[in-house]
Amino acid sequence: MEIILDFLRLLIFPSGLFLLLAGLLYEWVDRKLLAQLQNRIGPRWFQPIADIVKLMGKEEVIPDGSNKWLFVWLPIAALAGGLTAALYVPIMGIKPAFNFTGDLIVTLYLLSLLTLCMGLAGSNTMDRYSLLGATRTFTQLFSYEAPFMLALLGPALVAGSWQIDKITAYTQNHWLIFTQPIGFIVVIIGLMGKLELPPFDAPEAETEIVAGALTEYSGRGLALFRLGKGVEMVVGLTLVAAFYLGGVSNPVLFLVKTLALLVVVAVLQAVLSRLRIDQTVGIWWRYGALLVLVQWLFMFVGQRLTL
Amino acid sequence: MEEIIERKPFEVQVGPQHPALKEPGNFQFTVDGEIVTKASVRLGYAHRGIEKAAEERNWIQNIYLVERICGICSHIHAMTYCLAVEHLANIQAPPRAQAIRVLVAELERIHSHLLWIGVTAHEAGFDTLFMYSWRDRETIMDILENLTGNRVNYSANLLGGVKIDVDGEQKTGILKGIEILEERTKHYLNIVTTDVFFLQRTRGVGKMTQRQAEVMGAVGPTARASGVARDVRIESPYGAYDEFRPNLIIEQAGDLEARFIVRVKELFESYRLVREVLDRLPEGELSVRMPRRIKPAEFAIRVEAPRGELFYFVKSNGTDKPERVKVRTPTICNMTTVVKLVVGHQLADVPMILAGIDPCFSCNDRMVIVRDNRKIETIESRR
Repeated sequence: MEIILDFLRLLIFPSGLFLLLAGLLYEWVDRKLLAQLQNRIGPRWFQPIADIVKLMGKEEVIPDGSNKWLFVWLPIAALAGGLTAALYVPIMGIKPAFNFTGDLIVTLYLLSLLTLCMGLAGSNTMDRYSLLGATRTFTQLFSYEAPFMLALLGPALVAGSWQIDKITAYTQNHWLIFTQPIGFIVVIIGLMGKLELPPFDAPEAETEIVAGALTEYSGRGLALFRLGKGVEMVVGLTLVAAFYLGGVSNPVLFLVKTLALLVVVAVLQAVLSRLRIDQTVGIWWRYGALLVLVQWLFMFVGQRLTL
Repeated sequence: MEEIIERKPFEVQVGPQHPALKEPGNFQFTVDGEIVTKASVRLGYAHRGIEKAAEERNWIQNIYLVERICGICSHIHAMTYCLAVEHLANIQAPPRAQAIRVLVAELERIHSHLLWIGVTAHEAGFDTLFMYSWRDRETIMDILENLTGNRVNYSANLLGGVKIDVDGEQKTGILKGIEILEERTKHYLNIVTTDVFFLQRTRGVGKMTQRQAEVMGAVGPTARASGVARDVRIESPYGAYDEFRPNLIIEQAGDLEARFIVRVKELFESYRLVREVLDRLPEGELSVRMPRRIKPAEFAIRVEAPRGELFYFVKSNGTDKPERVKVRTPTICNMTTVVKLVVGHQLADVPMILAGIDPCFSCNDRMVIVRDNRKIETIESRR
């Protein structure tokens, strides 16, 4: 019986089918909001689903000079990473499906798997744009990853546990956005960097390098990468909402808080212009990392004083 | 045994098909990481043989042909051609016609500059500015449609005058639209000079000194952003421009920010001119009679298109067809500056520097063959 339940958790809810659809829905909300902010009409609600269905039906062209095995499996690994990460976070405000001590770190690394796979997928082909895109993807990964992780470890520190379950139990009574505002800013911008949303879309800047690392991907592979991004968006927003916005203890709170975060993300996308990759690195290491360290300093001092 | 690893230069081909290029053109960039170390351009993908075709058509048919050289600045081509042919035939369009030509030319400049702001913002990944400026550009497109009946090829010119007149209702419509646009343009000027994120992409990028601009023969707003005081409307007024005088807009910095500022400020200048023309529109006829055949003569004229200096050379041979029509569009003059300026910049800046000159590939494609000691030189081999 337990095994069947585990399979349901993997394939239907919280991971699997539900998360894929949720990812597409969030992608639509993001696109629609951005379009409205830019005075456009934007896509209809089923557009992301239609895109995926269409891409799935298309022929997948595997370019010469690339490792075929890697080319096919990287998108699958990327999506799998996102889906696995979802098992450890409170999707829809429901207790994480699995937990163990230190699952926060595992989740963060699983979330990075998508970026890693995209970078590898880009390096795997001979295409110039893909190679440049892959370089930029990795560069960006190394710039936002450390501050992003440090910012997510802030709540872990005050909760006294590295288990997502226990951290959310703590944050339900504490709105950390007020006690750790810097961490919140860093984490939300880090999430945008992770999802390669504007202004951090240099790795896939279409006017420079076409589609970046994914230039050679078409059909199924591209669809899987896009699904992976949608999943990662939901998981990332869940983590931020659970850690910083007073927890997500029920589905209503979950929807309200994650969608509110999505509005913030969409507004940021609309008002900022794309950063060059060197400027992205500069922002993260000059300001992002330092700000988080300042935040940590305050936290340590605060803890010493209260003890 | 020692293994020799040869470092081959990493070449990035941009075009002929590329999302940054709305028209076909090919650029080869040799990059070292993200830095461009060498650049070259290859043009000619949209060569349409218009100059040759012009020799096969009569004077009147050619108005419609030259109007289609450029999709953005269609009026200026027809107007320049008409001015040249009128000069050859020794007639002059009536003052009201001249003023209406200036009116349409300035409306066209507004539409071209607004379009450019959007395109360049899009190259910088600032899609919100792109969408907003193109939305506002619709105002001017509606005005042009209301005035001439067309959104793109206005077909306002005749040999010896213009086809269209401006009545009171149209006048109020134009003034209303201009008022809205002026308000919006103030907002854009504010954005391009104060938005920190956008300034990171424009300030100090693609810097061209005044000397460089003069040596490379830059024209139009690109040159004016580098401190070159050159505007054909001012230095040799044509048509009604000696009556309706624009002010010279000039910036010294020479970077992309300066090009933005020059073009946005030129918008204000165009609004002023449009108002002035509508205010002091001379009364009278719209056109004069034009002979069918023109005695052998030749005439060269230069005008200020939205993108810069446009040059026409027209030669007649006594028939109803031209012997030769030579067109030189501003893009070809500015193209060398792109290849020069991108070296040392990041690949990410390339699309913006390219868009910074407001390129129009299908306008600039010419076949030039200079035969010299059996060595054939084209524009391509001379780069």
